[in-house]
Amino acid sequence: MDPRLAALQAFPPADGVDDNNYYKESQEHVKRVREIIKKDTQWIRESAGDILKHVNPAVYSLSYVMVLECLLQAPGWNTQQAHETLASYMAEFLLQFDARQIRCKGSIWSDVLKAAYDDRGLFPASVAAEVVTAALLRLDPSGSVLTSHHCHIVELAYNTGNVEAVLPLIEKPIIYMPAKGMSTSQPVSDMSLPPPAYINLDTELTYALTSSMVLQYDFISGLCFIERRRWQQAFDALERCVTYPARDGGCSKIMTEAYNKWILVGLLLTGQPPTLPDTTSQAAKKIFAIQGKPYKLLAQAFQSNTAADLIREFEVINSEHLQNEANVELAKLVLAHYQRWQIINMRNIYTTISLEKIRERTQSAETGQPLSTVEAVDQLVQSMIVDGSLQGEIARPTDGSPAFLAFLSAPAQGMSEVEFSAKMNKVAQGIMALQPVIEATNKRLASNREYINHTIRRQFDAAREQKLGMQSVGGGFEESSFHIEEEEDLMSGLPAH
Amino acid sequence: MERNKLAYFTAIENQGGVVVRETPKFDLDLYIQNYKGRTRWERLYHIGRTSVPLCVDALKAAVQEAKSGSDVMRYKYAVDSLRQVAPDEPEALLDQDWIDTKNKEIRNTTEHLQAELQGYKNNLIKESIRMGHEDLGKHYEAIGDLETAMDSYWKMRPDVSSADQLADIGKLLIRIAIERHDWKTVSNHLSKHVNAANDSDPKAKALRTYSKIANGIASLGQERYREAAFSFVWASADVPPSVYDKIASPNDVAIYGGLLALATMDRNELQTNLLDNDSFREFLQREPHIRRAITQFVNGRYAACIEILESYRPDYLLDIYLQKHVHKLYADIRTKSIVQYLKPFSCVRLETMQKAFNGPGPSIEDELFMMIREGKLNARIDSINKSILPISVDSRQKMQSATLERFGNYEKQALDRIRRMNIIAADLEVKGTGKTAAMNPIQGGMAVDDSAAVA
Repeated sequence: MDPRLAALQAFPPADGVDDNNYYKESQEHVKRVREIIKKDTQWIRESAGDILKHVNPAVYSLSYVMVLECLLQAPGWNTQQAHETLASYMAEFLLQFDARQIRCKGSIWSDVLKAAYDDRGLFPASVAAEVVTAALLRLDPSGSVLTSHHCHIVELAYNTGNVEAVLPLIEKPIIYMPAKGMSTSQPVSDMSLPPPAYINLDTELTYALTSSMVLQYDFISGLCFIERRRWQQAFDALERCVTYPARDGGCSKIMTEAYNKWILVGLLLTGQPPTLPDTTSQAAKKIFAIQGKPYKLLAQAFQSNTAADLIREFEVINSEHLQNEANVELAKLVLAHYQRWQIINMRNIYTTISLEKIRERTQSAETGQPLSTVEAVDQLVQSMIVDGSLQGEIARPTDGSPAFLAFLSAPAQGMSEVEFSAKMNKVAQGIMALQPVIEATNKRLASNREYINHTIRRQFDAAREQKLGMQSVGGGFEESSFHIEEEEDLMSGLPAH
Repeated sequence: MERNKLAYFTAIENQGGVVVRETPKFDLDLYIQNYKGRTRWERLYHIGRTSVPLCVDALKAAVQEAKSGSDVMRYKYAVDSLRQVAPDEPEALLDQDWIDTKNKEIRNTTEHLQAELQGYKNNLIKESIRMGHEDLGKHYEAIGDLETAMDSYWKMRPDVSSADQLADIGKLLIRIAIERHDWKTVSNHLSKHVNAANDSDPKAKALRTYSKIANGIASLGQERYREAAFSFVWASADVPPSVYDKIASPNDVAIYGGLLALATMDRNELQTNLLDNDSFREFLQREPHIRRAITQFVNGRYAACIEILESYRPDYLLDIYLQKHVHKLYADIRTKSIVQYLKPFSCVRLETMQKAFNGPGPSIEDELFMMIREGKLNARIDSINKSILPISVDSRQKMQSATLERFGNYEKQALDRIRRMNIIAADLEVKGTGKTAAMNPIQGGMAVDDSAAVA
């Protein structure tokens, strides 16, 4: 075998090597491969196909990614055939790579991943979205760290109409943001490390983020969910924008745009105007109150018993705002859902109701009138039962009397003790599962200057209070509600340690 | 209806006024005998502008009442209204001589009282100064200059020498505030000037009852119905009506207290605070139908209660303080009756309910629909089988769902908080420009690094 090929296959080492040695060896291997690439660039570029046949991307991921990097830097990959070949190498790698090896040399992986979605056009957008999503989840199956790659790929997928491909990515809850100085003393090859310990600016698995990138990610995620009619997830994503941390009276344009959409999505989701969470900054609240007023009025009119108010507000908002803010379709959907929510809310009043009475008691916000026929009501109710928004069934008596809607009632009795205890256990496990997340955050914050100042201040205050004979104020997550002030206290609610 | 009356009441209706066409059950002369002072004219004039059958009699009485006093404007108003309704009545002609004489008399009295007061002030006799202000205040009140009257009464305060005198000033101020329907001022003066702690002293007891009635009227005006109900209910029947007859009569106490209690108290409270309350029972003796209505309600015969009240609706619409609230109070009593009626049943046929509560409003199903939608009744209508099914609150189930929801939110909140901390720790918050944000939230507060809009 060609010694150069053997060198490419020299890493990873056999099983049994500890994390420290694994990391050291990986760095030495990178050096060796760099030398080969430097010396035999021509050989690599000309015989890439033969070389990569011997370098399995799932096994020799580090070597493979370095070869790919070399190929990407080579001129002459512009021909159609060469282009397709390189794309197939990259796809093969991104779908199979060994995440442990990649952690040891993040910068190269980041460059290669970036090539999959940047304007070089190696992949069509649909493939790029799928491959990059798979690669990101391969690196961090929990998907809890936001990277620059997330932001770019989600934007690309939304702009090119490939939302489906990125859904597995945007469904994951983002908890951590990459920052400098996040690495721990443990080597990144340690597979027990929490994601933020190996995906950060030091390991270069992500480029630096800005607040607008984070906001844009949540905002576009919201738009993706809106496109898929997944209202709860859309609402949550937009709410993350609306409540985004701000200081010194800051509020961004994305936040106000998100607020407007958040109101519309809230109406579609619950049939009621949503309430701003406590965590919304005071400055944002003031700005939303002014800039989002037309949407708020529309939401209030949605609760009115007649469609006329809603139509009037829609006309006002349509002429001034909807077009500019790209909310026309969403607002029209709100109008279309007005009558549906009226019917759903009938479950709080009726156990059975004739379709004729539904026709009389509800109005379409598209026409401002009740539906013209009972058949149209029948069709609407049927569609609501089918899509699961209405728990009921249409009964058609055989004696010729008119059809009616019977709402399915909730169980009359509460849960048994056993059922309740099982559900509580499940919820408790969910809360206990937060422990690693809290630990990871604590570790991360331990090196944060502000946090240390805060902790010292807290300890000092506690000592002073004790001295004065006052009872120390309790803190921690046991507090049921959180209140964010204008200048958000970074560490409020964290247990002192 | 006669042509003049028709035109008169059409105009009132067009202005949003209430017009009562039914003949009330009370006798106007007996009714007005219960009152003293300026409230007599006010009540007569109100009835004259509201009741079609009593309009002429009431306005004629109002003209006479005004002429027996010193308020020229009131006289003119009453004559003007009577002229529109019954131009042929002798009282409908404006007595210009009386007006001229009265105006001259008023001028002289004002000058005389002002000079007298000035004299007291020059002599620095506190008691005389206080009385001078009081005389002047009463004079202004009598001629209808309430603003100046209030000023004069207010000026009595620095010269008071006893708690009784302070309470008297309070009563004068309260009387004027009630006439002006300035309910907040009534409450203010009650708390500032009228405090009677000692019930054994007849004077204090009288003051306490006056205070309760005034507070009841003010609370009613501010739609604080429950507070108003308790105020009336705890007025003492031992206190002679002359103590409070310039603002209300004992019959009013029974009616206001009874209606407000029916609208705001449950059956046990009605029993304890009204039927078992010796003092209030005495008031109720003057209005036996209110006592009957309360008894029927307490005994669970809601339809009978509503029927009694409905028959007295025209009477209550003629009351100066009650008129505005009759519709709401009746609706509340009806709602409460329906809710109480349904309590013991798991299912009631709509037909039965229609019979029991056949009111002037919409059909019972529509009424129940509105009540459930507004959250006043926890029940479901079975529109096909024409029945209503009350829903009893299962505390255990409520607790279970509340607990599960709370824990679910806890997890969500905790994750959100951690995410926010990580954003802040990574220095990724949106930063504003500081103080300017508070002054100009739109421009000053907007961050500059993310102007990109996503469509």
